[in-house]
Amino acid sequence: MEGEATDFFAATFSIEEEDHTLANSLRFFLNKNPHVAFCGYSMPHPSEELVNLRVQTTGKVTAMQAVKAACEDVSQVCGHMRSTLQDAVHKFQAEEAARKR
Amino acid sequence: MSGYGTMPATVTMGVPYICGQCGSEISLKPGDIIQCRECGYRILYKKRTNKVVQFEAR
Amino acid sequence: MGKDKGKGKLPEHLELRRDFVTCGDRLNFNVNTITSANTFNAMGVDNSWDFAAFKDSFQIVINKMDREVMEFDMIGCDPAIANALRRILIAEVPTVAIEHVFMINNTSIIQDEVLSHRLGLVPLLVPPHLLEPKLAEEAPGEKNTVVFKLDVTCRRKPDGSLENDKVLTSQLEWLPGGSELPEETTCRFAAGQAHLFTASAADAAAASTSAAFAAAAAPPSPLGSTSGPYPRPRAVHGDILLAKLRPGQTLQLEAHATKGTGKEHAKWSPVATAWYRLQPVVALLKEVRADSEEGKVLLETCPGLFSADEATGLLRAGNARGHEMVLERLRRLLEQERFSSCVAYRKRKDHFIFTIESSGVLHPAELLAQALDILADKANNLRDKL
Repeated sequence: MEGEATDFFAATFSIEEEDHTLANSLRFFLNKNPHVAFCGYSMPHPSEELVNLRVQTTGKVTAMQAVKAACEDVSQVCGHMRSTLQDAVHKFQAEEAARKR
Repeated sequence: MSGYGTMPATVTMGVPYICGQCGSEISLKPGDIIQCRECGYRILYKKRTNKVVQFEAR
Repeated sequence: MGKDKGKGKLPEHLELRRDFVTCGDRLNFNVNTITSANTFNAMGVDNSWDFAAFKDSFQIVINKMDREVMEFDMIGCDPAIANALRRILIAEVPTVAIEHVFMINNTSIIQDEVLSHRLGLVPLLVPPHLLEPKLAEEAPGEKNTVVFKLDVTCRRKPDGSLENDKVLTSQLEWLPGGSELPEETTCRFAAGQAHLFTASAADAAAASTSAAFAAAAAPPSPLGSTSGPYPRPRAVHGDILLAKLRPGQTLQLEAHATKGTGKEHAKWSPVATAWYRLQPVVALLKEVRADSEEGKVLLETCPGLFSADEATGLLRAGNARGHEMVLERLRRLLEQERFSSCVAYRKRKDHFIFTIESSGVLHPAELLAQALDILADKANNLRDKL
């Protein structure tokens, strides 16, 4: 991963060894951030493992901070989804056991 | 063939083949007629190498 | 979907555009999700990310789950996340598959390279977390390789029947001590892998007959299968035909399995496939009498979906789930103005009907849990590197 500098309000992040999977998730959370004026990503070539993530902020936060916050959001959401899944599986198994009885 | 050192073993020993008709094993040297010595059948198959061959499972 | 945080409510027509795809006869409308935080600022509605609201609205409801297939509803999440999970399930959750085949002898009709390719695609019951991924420059060893042997010769039995005329995956034999040809394969084990897997007698007996194979197999448990004991490595399905032999033909080979991901080759994909679709909703836009011209047509073309209310004589739209065939007929009707003015076929943008078809190596629920962990790891790694 290659950033420009730490205190820019607009920056392009070249993220290596990542693809749409992470870039699109980040794009979603960055767009959901009211301090981000623009966010988009592109893959220069489909057979190259590289995405360019462009972030422009309104000036309240740096681009770096916005991306970090988006990373936090992704991992927080994953954590919550995982515990929700756990509950759903337990619920299904309990129902299944009740059905068999 | 001069200048290439010793002749390959296959030239002196012959390459083993299997007859497509009767299945008998024949050893052929360069210049030999391609024909089974037992039944005269002219389709011969080369024997598989006894070395382990590696393949990519893709 | 962003929930209005009590600050204001969107007008109904905008809410409809935000939350639903509207299906027309030829194309769908409002297919994009409205992600920008400031979109509805003018209406006093905050569209920015709100974890608390997500926590309140997010749901997973499992409809169907066994050791191979799981169908569940994932409600209150954006397509960006749903698609990330789908992509990770297909391409990034690791499994173990045969990568190198060392052919000692093959007098069968099937060519060496074709047989090798077939072997590679066989799903193997090896818990992926027990192995490390093998890097190209690394030497094969007990940390990154599981070795199988296949040695089958077909012969005619005295009663005239054939023995071993079909080579099945159940005949793949695990070698806990590693390769028997370390010179040729350069694969050397120090201590062997026997201690990693419990080799119960029942398990071995079950493996010998292909019919009992699947039945006796220990079902992979959903979630938290990271603790042993593990059954001996073998193919998930013992009844996959690898080759056919005639009397006298022989197949002798060693197969080395390594850990990888579907990104590199589909044989490492842990799923047959994983997909989602959106929750369909059918709504009546105005009162339609069941005995009217349109009402009759709708009742006839979409049986089960529409019903007539006994008391009022009006048409009612039922739950669109489970009437998928009928929905496509409804879509055709929408090309006529008289139907499109009274019925709407929509899809909820934040309600995914997700299906995971596991290859049988890992439980589908476990796969989803791993996919979530992988996505979180990706985000955490990036944050740490920034």
